[in-house]
Amino acid sequence: MAFQSLTTPKSDLLLALKNGLCMNKWPVAAMDTQRLDMAKDYVKVLQEKFPESKRVGRLEALLLEAMGLWEEAEKAYSSLLEDNELDPVIHKRRVAMAKAQGNISGAIEWLNKYLEIFMADHDAWRELAEIYVSLQMYKQAAFCYEELILSQPTIPLYHLAYADVLYTLGGIENLHMAKKYYASTIDLTGGKHTRALFGVCLSTSAIDQLTKGRNKDDKENSQLASLSATALGKDYKQRAPNKVSLLASTLRSLKLSS
Amino acid sequence: MGGESLYEIHQNAYIKLVLHALKHGTSAVNAALIGRSSSAGESVEIVDSVPLFHSQIGLLPPLEIALMMIEEYYGEKGLSIVGYFHANERSDDFELSSVAKNIGDHITRYFPQAALLLLENKKLEALPEGMDRSPVMQLYTKDASRSWKLVGSDGSNKLAIKEPSANIVLLDYISSEKWKDIIDFDDHLDDISKNWLNSELFQ
Repeated sequence: MAFQSLTTPKSDLLLALKNGLCMNKWPVAAMDTQRLDMAKDYVKVLQEKFPESKRVGRLEALLLEAMGLWEEAEKAYSSLLEDNELDPVIHKRRVAMAKAQGNISGAIEWLNKYLEIFMADHDAWRELAEIYVSLQMYKQAAFCYEELILSQPTIPLYHLAYADVLYTLGGIENLHMAKKYYASTIDLTGGKHTRALFGVCLSTSAIDQLTKGRNKDDKENSQLASLSATALGKDYKQRAPNKVSLLASTLRSLKLSS
Repeated sequence: MGGESLYEIHQNAYIKLVLHALKHGTSAVNAALIGRSSSAGESVEIVDSVPLFHSQIGLLPPLEIALMMIEEYYGEKGLSIVGYFHANERSDDFELSSVAKNIGDHITRYFPQAALLLLENKKLEALPEGMDRSPVMQLYTKDASRSWKLVGSDGSNKLAIKEPSANIVLLDYISSEKWKDIIDFDDHLDDISKNWLNSELFQ
């Protein structure tokens, strides 16, 4: 849709905009593809038609962002916030701007402030978790995923991400927890989730290495691992047959057989 | 000791790295470098590369699986993981992130002369204008003090592409949008039928 708009004669688009069609999408598409001259035209048309509109105000500020005029954009958003203190979009643009300028600690600060007000915004929690992971702040990332799992316990993505973070943190307790959450991911996805199956194998192997087989009541646990290994083997045989032996030797080096 | 070696990267390995970075233009990406060192140890040949991830690069489990499989596959061919490639999320970010350094550290444990390559976005952007034959990436190696140092800032050529016309081929691929075809380990883990070896990419 975005590409379609960029090849149509400008006058037609401006006519469509004047009649109030596709208000937001075309200017944003133009900005996304760095066609700033077109974006400016669109915004101008909208400004004429809807002079007091908050949405147009946001587009104007977005245009400043796209042009890299950070200070001006910041001013624009601040003034918009004066009248619209609880507009989530504007708050999130602030985070985006901080991130775009490389001010990651600023982005984290803004995002945390945002989440204090809008704590049900799952995308924001995920964004924050991903920023933490990129900075190797795994404990903080874990906290975000805990929040997500609490509010949406049946979404396998959060279980998987949480397990990955726990595994990365390491230590025997985290590895056991990671294994649990890989298992719940498998549960929630009907048993074929490649990443979760690998996760079970990895965490079992890591636990074994740390406990050096001292833990005798882990028979059930090793069963889970061999089941996962078998499931992986079956899947690879079906969908990636040229990698079956590679999988087998990888699992062997984890001391598991498929 | 790493700073004394010469690093030569084969065209296909080099192109894969850049295409992968271009495919995922809004995220950080990374890749494993595959090759061997010369018998006397004075040079390292980067024969191939495997694009790894374009999301959540700081997480261990996918990385561990990838490195294990890669080592198994290339080990049989007498090759090993000789380095790591990283491209930052933002085009104006020239820093070597801690994640990149940590992964580089891990690889160095098994291959002390490991090369850490960082995509140079400005150089990549300028490619269509000039006739630059040098690779659009910076080379870092671990020096005696065990920290990652930029190699070649004094003008010496420590990283070279084996085929002199590689950048021309790269530009050609970019204009034909070849980056759409490249598959990384993330893609494989999401759909195991996708081949991270990219065997058909340059056919």
